[in-house]
Amino acid sequence: MFKKISSLLVVIFFFSISNDLHASEGSQVVLTLPNPLMVIPFVLLLLMIATGPLFYHQFWERSYPKIAIALGLITVFYYLFGLNDSHSLIHTAHEYVSFIALLTSLFVATGGILIKVDRKATPMLNVIILLFGSVIANIIGTTGASMLLIRPYIKINKNRVKPYHIIFFIFSISNIGGALTPIGDPPLFLGFLRGVDFFWFFGHVWYAWLPTLLLLVSIFYFIDTRNKNGEDPDTEYSGKIEFKGLKSIWYLLIILVSVFIDPGIMSWVPSLAPLPIGIREIIMFSVAYLSYKTAEIDVLKANEFNFDPIKEVAYLFVGIFATMIPALQLISYEANVYGQQLNPGIFYWATGSLSAFLDNAPTFLNFLSASLGKYGYDVAVKTQVHDFSIAHPVYLQAISIAAVFFGAMTYIGNGPNFMVKSICERAGINMPSFFGYLIKYAIPILLPIFTIVWLVLYYGKV
Amino acid sequence: MKSLKEVLNNKDFGLFYGNRILLPFAAEILKAVIERDIIMDFSTSDKGANYTIFNDYTEIYFYDYKNLLDVVSKYEMIKLVVVEKGKNIFDLSNHKKISLHLVENHKLTIEELNDDSLFIE
Repeated sequence: MFKKISSLLVVIFFFSISNDLHASEGSQVVLTLPNPLMVIPFVLLLLMIATGPLFYHQFWERSYPKIAIALGLITVFYYLFGLNDSHSLIHTAHEYVSFIALLTSLFVATGGILIKVDRKATPMLNVIILLFGSVIANIIGTTGASMLLIRPYIKINKNRVKPYHIIFFIFSISNIGGALTPIGDPPLFLGFLRGVDFFWFFGHVWYAWLPTLLLLVSIFYFIDTRNKNGEDPDTEYSGKIEFKGLKSIWYLLIILVSVFIDPGIMSWVPSLAPLPIGIREIIMFSVAYLSYKTAEIDVLKANEFNFDPIKEVAYLFVGIFATMIPALQLISYEANVYGQQLNPGIFYWATGSLSAFLDNAPTFLNFLSASLGKYGYDVAVKTQVHDFSIAHPVYLQAISIAAVFFGAMTYIGNGPNFMVKSICERAGINMPSFFGYLIKYAIPILLPIFTIVWLVLYYGKV
Repeated sequence: MKSLKEVLNNKDFGLFYGNRILLPFAAEILKAVIERDIIMDFSTSDKGANYTIFNDYTEIYFYDYKNLLDVVSKYEMIKLVVVEKGKNIFDLSNHKKISLHLVENHKLTIEELNDDSLFIE
């Protein structure tokens, strides 16, 4: 049954390509506004992502690929046969392939690296790891940095590890850290794909990123200095840091360089349009394949490497990307109508509160679309997104900061949160429940910090 | 009856059938981690996991899974904290961390967990 559904998706995909080719030969593409009821599959999917792992775990684990694809198909059929619009589908398919290629390649490449640190666990060493991880999250992604550092971080703290160690790791390395580049966090990568300059985020976000992180690790340091567990004065440490699987670093570098291999950035790069895959994505998938095939078996074994986490992301996001098309177009339209009433503070809190409970990548796109609509720009046109980032940077900044930072508020706010939780549970660490995480840690620690960010950067701004 | 040390040194296999595991030594199980499930409550006989110590072997049932092969993939493992039968359970140095890998023909390899592996007792 599932294979049949997958085959149907492939047929629809090629059908939509031929339709798109036909449309582009003769006439200009005209987008029709979708029926507001078509937002229901998107809302339903996001609600199920939030509640499935908690309240109907076994059904959800068994059925989420089918649910994501089935809901996605509703939107795909509606656009093909209801609106006769294959352009939006092709555009979204290309965005999805780019997104999943980056995540997959980073996930697989970092799975082939093992770091061993033989040093005494101290609050200061932990702070250094959190800050180091937050910086490299901008180079290898929050997913890559989390996967690379979570194991050595737990091993260093093995005699004193508590849930707060992991939760501050999720706050900083898996989320806030990656706010400076498009590689850092999926929402920013989507922004980059839509036309925002690569270094725009660094230039406009660093002065919120740095104080937020410093405040966060200061709180961590205060808590960690009170943890006296597992301190054995007789244990001797060599101080050595050992790396295994170093060739995977080269793979990471290739992925990093390939991000820029885009016809829109380098004119010599051939476009494979209307295929929803480019040279960049082919390189990324090839690197993922090569890094897995050439990884040391011992390292894969020690990392307990398996494809389940990335398979989960791939299935869920194929549904999210398809079902969010109507929501994006409607929000963009509504923002044109109500644009004057929306200020950067509203965008900050709206993007943030949705990013906390829903996935932050589509949330970012929804509000980017809304803020562009306020000034009459279209999120589907690269040059308009680029112009908007220059003309009205405060909106894009508010949306970017909120989408990345608030992803730390819950386990479901960002992909790596769940991956880190899963690794810790496999290591025997009892992690707090969804609501335990939210009530004991995220609300008392993060919310006041995010409120300060709002007060300093957006309060009173029109 | 073989000791855990002998089993590890001889690289003796255990066995698995569906959700049932047979270890070729007798031991108390203190903690088990399978996939994301951390099991420390072995008191019930229809939920989580339950084990029985026989003279020559230990039998564990993981009730939440029909077939362990469906959930434990190639590079994954089942992790256990065990104390050999007859040894002082209150002496922490007797707590041994072992990993179980599922291989073909119902065989189960048993290894002591090294420093590379993550397992917090």
